[in-house]
Amino acid sequence: MTAPYLRIRNVTKRFGAFTALDDVSIDIQRGEFVCFLGPSGCGKTTLLRAISGLDVQTYGSVEQDGRDISALPPAQRDFGIVFQSYALFQNLTVAANIAYGLENRKRPKAEIQRRVAELLELIGLPDSGPKYPGQLSGGQQQRVALARALAVSPGLLLLDEPLSALDAKVRAHLRDEIKTLQRRLGVTTIMITHDQEEAIGMADRIVVMRDGRIEQIGAPLEIYHRPANLFVAEFIGAMNLVPATWIGPNAIRLGAARLTCEAESYAPGAAVRAAVRPEDIICTGRANGHANSFQAEVRELEFVGPFFWLSLGGGELGEHRLRAQLPSQRARELDLRARDTTHLHIPAQNIRLFPQGVGHG
Amino acid sequence: MAELALAAPRVRPRPGRDERLMGGALALVALYLIVTLLAPLLLMLAKSVQDRDGAWVGLANFSAYFGNPALSGAIGNSLWVSALSTLIVIALAFGYAYALHRSRIPFRGFFRLVALLPLLAPSLLPAIALVYLFGNQGALKGWLFGESIYGPIGIVIGSVFWTFPHALLILGAALATADARLYEASDSLGASRWRTFTTVTLSGARYGLIGAAFVVFTLIITDFGVPKVIGGPFNMLATDIYKQVVGQQNFQMGAVVSLLLLLPALLAFLVERWAQRRQVAGLSSRAVPYRPKPRRSRDLVALALAVAVAAMILGILGMAAFASLAKLWPYDLGLSLRHYDFSAADGGSWASYGNSLRLALYTALFGSLVVFVGAYLVEKSRVARPLRTAVHLLALIPMAVPGMVLGLAYIFFFNARGNPLNFLYGGMALLVLATIAHFYTVSHLTALTALKQLDPEFEAVSAALKTPFYRTFWRVTMPLCLPAILDIAMYLFINAMTTVSAVVFLYSPDTALASVAVLNMDDAGDTAPAAAMAMLIVVTCAGAKLLHLSLSRWLLHRTQAWRR
Repeated sequence: MTAPYLRIRNVTKRFGAFTALDDVSIDIQRGEFVCFLGPSGCGKTTLLRAISGLDVQTYGSVEQDGRDISALPPAQRDFGIVFQSYALFQNLTVAANIAYGLENRKRPKAEIQRRVAELLELIGLPDSGPKYPGQLSGGQQQRVALARALAVSPGLLLLDEPLSALDAKVRAHLRDEIKTLQRRLGVTTIMITHDQEEAIGMADRIVVMRDGRIEQIGAPLEIYHRPANLFVAEFIGAMNLVPATWIGPNAIRLGAARLTCEAESYAPGAAVRAAVRPEDIICTGRANGHANSFQAEVRELEFVGPFFWLSLGGGELGEHRLRAQLPSQRARELDLRARDTTHLHIPAQNIRLFPQGVGHG
Repeated sequence: MAELALAAPRVRPRPGRDERLMGGALALVALYLIVTLLAPLLLMLAKSVQDRDGAWVGLANFSAYFGNPALSGAIGNSLWVSALSTLIVIALAFGYAYALHRSRIPFRGFFRLVALLPLLAPSLLPAIALVYLFGNQGALKGWLFGESIYGPIGIVIGSVFWTFPHALLILGAALATADARLYEASDSLGASRWRTFTTVTLSGARYGLIGAAFVVFTLIITDFGVPKVIGGPFNMLATDIYKQVVGQQNFQMGAVVSLLLLLPALLAFLVERWAQRRQVAGLSSRAVPYRPKPRRSRDLVALALAVAVAAMILGILGMAAFASLAKLWPYDLGLSLRHYDFSAADGGSWASYGNSLRLALYTALFGSLVVFVGAYLVEKSRVARPLRTAVHLLALIPMAVPGMVLGLAYIFFFNARGNPLNFLYGGMALLVLATIAHFYTVSHLTALTALKQLDPEFEAVSAALKTPFYRTFWRVTMPLCLPAILDIAMYLFINAMTTVSAVVFLYSPDTALASVAVLNMDDAGDTAPAAAMAMLIVVTCAGAKLLHLSLSRWLLHRTQAWRR
């Protein structure tokens, strides 16, 4: 493995008695797109500001491309930054905004103009150079901010919730654009977001944070399918978390149902929490051909277009509740209605267990 | 956690060029405020516990003051006159603001303009006009039923005149922003108009009322112009400082009275800050602006009040204007400009007008620069947080310091033997410094408000683009804040033209000022030239204000491409 482009080691940030970042270490490879994901107050912004030098950490080190930048002021680091608020200079034209960082580097005028035109092309606003930011839409302004940050070809691109101020449609569109642009330029990118869908859709790797600590680092699929702990399991995507009892080996009792699962061992009789994604609960109707199956009643049926939300309870589940996603097409085949009793199957590899009690929320 | 601290050394951020420059600039601003504000004030505190030779006497000066009823009686006088005037001003200004913002009277623009006119005049002007109206040879002397205008009556009327616009601005702001939904809710619940007024209108404006009351009270109790001209034998704290210092050269006693005057000002300052914070929090962003519907009875009463107040303001201004033009009041009322030739008058000259103009221009220019740069560093620099807080706190002090007190403190500090800045004493530069210091707080807060409206990440973006902060300050921050900078310059100009209190201790024959000339000519009995000089100040300020308005409009027009 090559040396990481960005090495964050044991970074801690204190504000008085409050610890905003607690011993955080991350390696980021060159060209990688990494998302810092977490609820507000989790420390993701603090970490970004430490990397940029805008708020230097209390302890720990940051290395970029082999250079120790831990204590350097922002102007001596190599990064471009885009904020949620765009932070465009309203009194300068779009072209002047993009050229802002270039002008200071004493480049010839013609070269600056060429570069600005190139960037305007890149962000799909070739004719907006003479306009003022106030005359552009939010999405367009954010693209200009991106071009301004990229103009000086920084080694690291920092995106601080760049999409949060935009409405849903523009957001989805710009999400793809940023991702494409990043792939094309190959610039190492860190994006902060509290929106897990955004992180899953854009990042090569996600850093899930809570209370100033890292909960898990991994590729989107890994985070989604193998959450390291209860917090990640609950925070990413929809998740059923049901109390169960370990009856081992490789089996739990959930209500009256016995389900096998692939998990590390617990003491016999230990209380655990079973985590199951709603889409991993397979409805087999009257048929019961699977080993890992149980019977339950459909309490509610909610149609949301491509699938139904099923609320399951009773039967072998007893007082436990599960929510399952049933594809609309499958629902038609089964002709399922509320109050029906049905068989359900959960593949063993799709049940994850967490120790009971250390939970939260 | 101690182990961690041992294992990993604390990261010391290494300052770059930007950080060093900002830190240096911030230190300079702090030093500036210490020299022109804090040090003089501290020295004055020290003087109050010393005798004439500078020996420590503890509280002897204070006991001498309180032991002398002729002196300490001024406390009671100041308190009740200020309280009464405040009550009248607040009642009138509230009614007037209500008429402007909550009724549908015609000519609201005109009424607003008239109400703000007193801001352009020194506080001496209403006092002089009152002398002409109700003095011994006054046009309306009979209206007082034999009471003398020289004394509390005159002081109250004069104070009401010149503090009225200050109260109106605060109450106007409080009444201009109302949530229509509250009125609809009150209506739909069947509340009577009176009940709606007390529970919605009054309660919505309560912080404005409190804030305005304290601001006006402080303005009056620390004002020197009105009681000096029309107070007669009636002692007030502010005039006592003047008498002690200029009349009897008793600087120590002046310091004692100054300290007493600091107390109400300090209290008012704290209350006002508190009220302002509450007022802002009161209105949510989802509020629906309230638009009054026409209602005949209310609009008629409002119109009557507005007409009456506007007539009084115009009457007093008109009286001063007429007094300055009448050949020989009250015997020859033919018009002439001869009182505007100050050569015959004792204590005034066109040179003093020129000095005032220079003072106002320098103060506006230099002051807005210092204030804006200071506010920028406080709000936007990433360095030396304690120093930023210190500069901000220093900038807030002048609001709580009466002009007389500041002027006296300047004497102590800059006239002290051994002070290397002694050469400034009596010069124009010192007058400029004193005036900037005197009006620093409002300018600073105006600049802060404007700066806070800018995106907080401009500086971060600029640093990321390796652009020095001063370039972004020059190309982005300053242009975006230009309207506010103009406002500050205007505010400083007008106040430098009209102020008497701080500079009255600091001018020399070479740097006599127009506002002080008004005072001295009136003192010498040359009342008509005094009125002429006061009118000159009003006209100058009005001209400056017009210039400011057209400049602002031109700027708005020029920049409307990017201003949304």
